[in-house]
Amino acid sequence: MSAVLDLPELAQGLRRRHSVRRRAGLSLLALVAVFSLFGPWLIGIDPRVQTLAESLSPPGAGHWLGTDVLGRSVLARLAAAAQLSLGLALLAAVTAAVPGVLLGVTAAWRGGRVERALVMLSDAVLSVPGLLLVLLFAALAPGRHWALYVGLSLSLWVEYFRVSRAAARPVLAGDAVQASRLLGFGPGYLLRRHLLPALAPVLGTLLAFSAAQAVLALAALGFVGVGLQPPTPELGLMMIEFLPHYEEAPWLIAAPVLLLTLLVLGMMLLAGDGEPA
Amino acid sequence: MSAASVGSALLAVEGLSVRIGSRQLLRELSFTLRPGEALTLLGESGAGKSLLAEAVMGSLPDALQAGGSVVMEGRRSRADDLRARRPLWGRTVALLPQEPAIALDPLMRVAPQWAETGRLVRGMPALAADAAAQAGLAGSGLAGSGDKFPWQLSGGMAQRAAAGIAMAGGARILLADEPTKGLDARWRDHTIDLLRSVQRAGGCVVVITHDLRVAQALGGQLMVLRQGEVVEQGDAATILARPAHGFTRQLVAADPARWPRRAAPGPGPLLLGAEGLGKRFGDNILFEGIDLQLHAGERLVVQGSSGSGKSSLGNALLGLLPLDHGMVKRSAGLSATDFQKLYQDPAASFPPRVSLGTALRDAARLHGTAWSSVEHRLGRLGVAGDLLARRPAQVSGGELQRIALARVLTARPAMLFADEPTSRLDPVTQQQGMEVLLDALDETGAALLLVTHDEDIARAVGARFLRLGENGSARSGQAASVNG
Repeated sequence: MSAVLDLPELAQGLRRRHSVRRRAGLSLLALVAVFSLFGPWLIGIDPRVQTLAESLSPPGAGHWLGTDVLGRSVLARLAAAAQLSLGLALLAAVTAAVPGVLLGVTAAWRGGRVERALVMLSDAVLSVPGLLLVLLFAALAPGRHWALYVGLSLSLWVEYFRVSRAAARPVLAGDAVQASRLLGFGPGYLLRRHLLPALAPVLGTLLAFSAAQAVLALAALGFVGVGLQPPTPELGLMMIEFLPHYEEAPWLIAAPVLLLTLLVLGMMLLAGDGEPA
Repeated sequence: MSAASVGSALLAVEGLSVRIGSRQLLRELSFTLRPGEALTLLGESGAGKSLLAEAVMGSLPDALQAGGSVVMEGRRSRADDLRARRPLWGRTVALLPQEPAIALDPLMRVAPQWAETGRLVRGMPALAADAAAQAGLAGSGLAGSGDKFPWQLSGGMAQRAAAGIAMAGGARILLADEPTKGLDARWRDHTIDLLRSVQRAGGCVVVITHDLRVAQALGGQLMVLRQGEVVEQGDAATILARPAHGFTRQLVAADPARWPRRAAPGPGPLLLGAEGLGKRFGDNILFEGIDLQLHAGERLVVQGSSGSGKSSLGNALLGLLPLDHGMVKRSAGLSATDFQKLYQDPAASFPPRVSLGTALRDAARLHGTAWSSVEHRLGRLGVAGDLLARRPAQVSGGELQRIALARVLTARPAMLFADEPTSRLDPVTQQQGMEVLLDALDETGAALLLVTHDEDIARAVGARFLRLGENGSARSGQAASVNG
């Protein structure tokens, strides 16, 4: 059986398909990232400057994506919004990952009461819908970046905790760790050579997923008006601002929707449907 | 091959080959089995033996191309027409897979799995299928285990269950892939009986193995494979008595029954003393009341049937398994890393995502062993240097076990617990592996605690024996003195 599965030729096709997906996802994300990083500088228009005379002008040489009802450049606002969404989502995902992974590995390592207490804590957080948690924090300090960021991180760490605990348990119980312990290696070595290499592919996938989740949560909160407040350029806010004009200027609402789709699609493609060997 | 011989044959394979792209994995081979006949396929690991079974079954992965044809009960199909043979699965032809742990449904108790085959494959009424399952369980020595889940069974018990279930559909052609791997003599004989009973009932058996004793016991035809090519084919008794090809001679000579006995050095100071050791899993007593002493340089072999707790005893002595009773006392002056272990599956004992060289270098650095002396050791173990750049899964079991040996030796252990270190290897590799292990022990003066189910290996290696019985009892013995 194993002799058959070990054939390198068999794995190749699968790996190639996998890498094409990842590369597509990576290119999409890179595109959005370049747009959000260099866009504001290249466009050179302040996204907050209102020119009421140019209200709802169609796409043209001056404003590639036209202007909104207050005459602000949509392209400039889109670039600023992309920067905000991408930055805040990545920051929240990373801050959730660090304590989540540490606690997950601790739970798997220590077992017993420590593990039970941590699992109870994570279950308690999980019993509150993630968006509701973010909403609670958003209500504490309406329109503030930090409140959204804290709320997102607090709802996202649970996933990292659960996944890294589940992934660390078989590794810690396995012969390889037993052999290393017998040889006299300490916890640092087990972490570096056994646990982190085993967790890395899973965490990479999870990072992309939770960043996508954070982007969507931000947009959803902005859309229902409890997230960031105008005049901040934000994807959800832009959608709700453009919604009344979708008949006269359909290109307006299309822009943030398309950007959001590309961003989430890129993250999903990057996450893939399985970990590479 | 004449048409008449194919006509009366239960299974005929003509010019079967398997390739992937332009690479030939199995070169043209043919054989014919009439009712009551058996064929044994011998060969080294990676010789394409398992591929043959899959090609005959029609379960080859899509990427592999088969050539030639297969005739089952008079129905001829092209070898690459995998679908043609699918309706025959279970009823005409059954495959006993290599790893029973994977073949059995982990979420279903054993007896219902057995009965399900009778009911769904054979079309028996539910009650009759249940009765047949109970009879089958009793016949395989699993009478009390019908209500257990596969993961609660020992490896040998799971294998017996998988064998019984594979044949519960009434297939007349049985393909068995390493059916005796990991079994002790008693259950090996039982498995051979099982295969024979298929023959007696008018079926035919194809056994893939590297256990010569199966070939001897089963008789019939023998085919020796090497790198996908048949090097010898004919009557089993004739070939085993007078092997013509060099490779066959090598295989026959590597049979543990023919190993020379090695003299063990006289015992040195006490390393470890254990008193009244007892361990049970639930109601199952593994061992109890075991007193044991181990001296420097000694060779102690722990024997016992599968599931008797041999490995658990070794793990308990190393402090890897908490005991229910008794205590293990290590002599003063020994450090924790003086007790090391060699695993049955060496691939699982290395960090899987790190190159072997890195793992070795880490261990050498930790124990202050110069890298040059590790390289020297690897050279003496016969490990090629370029293997170290690979990961554990990319190296064969025999080579990996040597690298594992080199790794534990960096800790300069006083005692080595070897848990069936060669049981997954083919005979030639097994003999070489055991030899380098014993050479290394002679050189370093470390004591050996060897767990094995193989009587012949135990006899060749051990100076002192501990036999674990069925219900927790233990009997110890001394080898007759050896000269040399």
